[in-house]
Amino acid sequence: MTRLAAHGVGLEVPPGWEGRIVRRPSIHPAEQPRAVVHVASFPLPEARGDFGVGVTELMRSGDVFLTLFEYGPESLGTPLFAPVGIPQLTGAIFGSRRLQRTLPGQLGCQLFFTTDRRPFCLYVVVAGRLHLRSALAQVNPFLETLDLSR
Amino acid sequence: MTALVVVETVVLVLLVVMVTGLLRSHGEILRRLHALGAGLDPDAVDAPAVLRPRGDLARDHAGLGPAADLAGEGLHDDAVSIPVIGVRHRTLLAFLSSGCLTCRGFWDSFARPATLGLPADVRLVVVTKDAAEESVRVLRDLAAPDLAVVMSNAAWEQYAVPGSPYFALVDGSSARVVGEGTGATWAQVQSLLVHATGDEEDRRGSSGGGAAATEARIDLELLVQGIRPGDPRLYGSTGVPAS
Repeated sequence: MTRLAAHGVGLEVPPGWEGRIVRRPSIHPAEQPRAVVHVASFPLPEARGDFGVGVTELMRSGDVFLTLFEYGPESLGTPLFAPVGIPQLTGAIFGSRRLQRTLPGQLGCQLFFTTDRRPFCLYVVVAGRLHLRSALAQVNPFLETLDLSR
Repeated sequence: MTALVVVETVVLVLLVVMVTGLLRSHGEILRRLHALGAGLDPDAVDAPAVLRPRGDLARDHAGLGPAADLAGEGLHDDAVSIPVIGVRHRTLLAFLSSGCLTCRGFWDSFARPATLGLPADVRLVVVTKDAAEESVRVLRDLAAPDLAVVMSNAAWEQYAVPGSPYFALVDGSSARVVGEGTGATWAQVQSLLVHATGDEEDRRGSSGGGAAATEARIDLELLVQGIRPGDPRLYGSTGVPAS
């Protein structure tokens, strides 16, 4: 596994997977720059939307794409981010209607949570229902390697 | 007075020795840069290929050596990890730098990926040294927006890169470097790809790779000669594709 760390995020990229930790510049002066993580089981294009625009279109059967998106402190304490701690995934939370962009054969899930007073959204896309179980067998151990403490 | 003359003479001799040493060292550096295809003479860009096997490194009999995944910084304040082993494709690692004049041609070529003629199973990744040894601002100007770039001194050490530009072709399934070398132009690097592909087929046996690999190698050989799909030379005197 390859260890990556930047912008208050640490993680171990699974073998054969690709990872990026970027920092989105703030648009408003009062806004803080936010960390965005992209991890995929296939080569990532350089032009990527935060939630996979430009990426999920390239996915082939069995591919997995994951985004971890940090929100600003204004989101702390809101009901959406009430769950505490990095989640673990189950097959039941995946669905084709949970995708940011619906593409044939793809399933997704989107989970909001707070850890170390940092609000995040975890968004995972799997290409092909048949591959969901094997995808979770790789994504869940990966989530256990996440270090989101500043 | 005599003592002063003696001291001056000694100082002069020392200076002559020092300048001679510096000139020799400078000459040696230029000679080695030229050998790497990074000479200062802009007219030397089209010099003959200097692609070569890495005889200076211990290699096992199975190939050119083990490969390693890439990890480092990107050009936009990001951390990057790119796998080259355990993947289905091959990866062409282009070791370039912001200050190397010969590299400029490659940066320009990489801005037009459609004209590179890379086989479909080859992914191009540029590897530079760490930000402390490069001008990140210059790199941002040089790198096309859709070009994967990793800044990693560790990768330069792992692949024993002697200088820029330098290229290594990694086969993801075998986790080995299957070809490496340097060149002054993209056409010369394409030649490296052709030889690496042919050598890999030989290593796997005549049946290794199958018809698709043979077709990819032939395509590359044609591309090196500047023959692209639709070229009339492919159709002989009849002007129609050969069956």
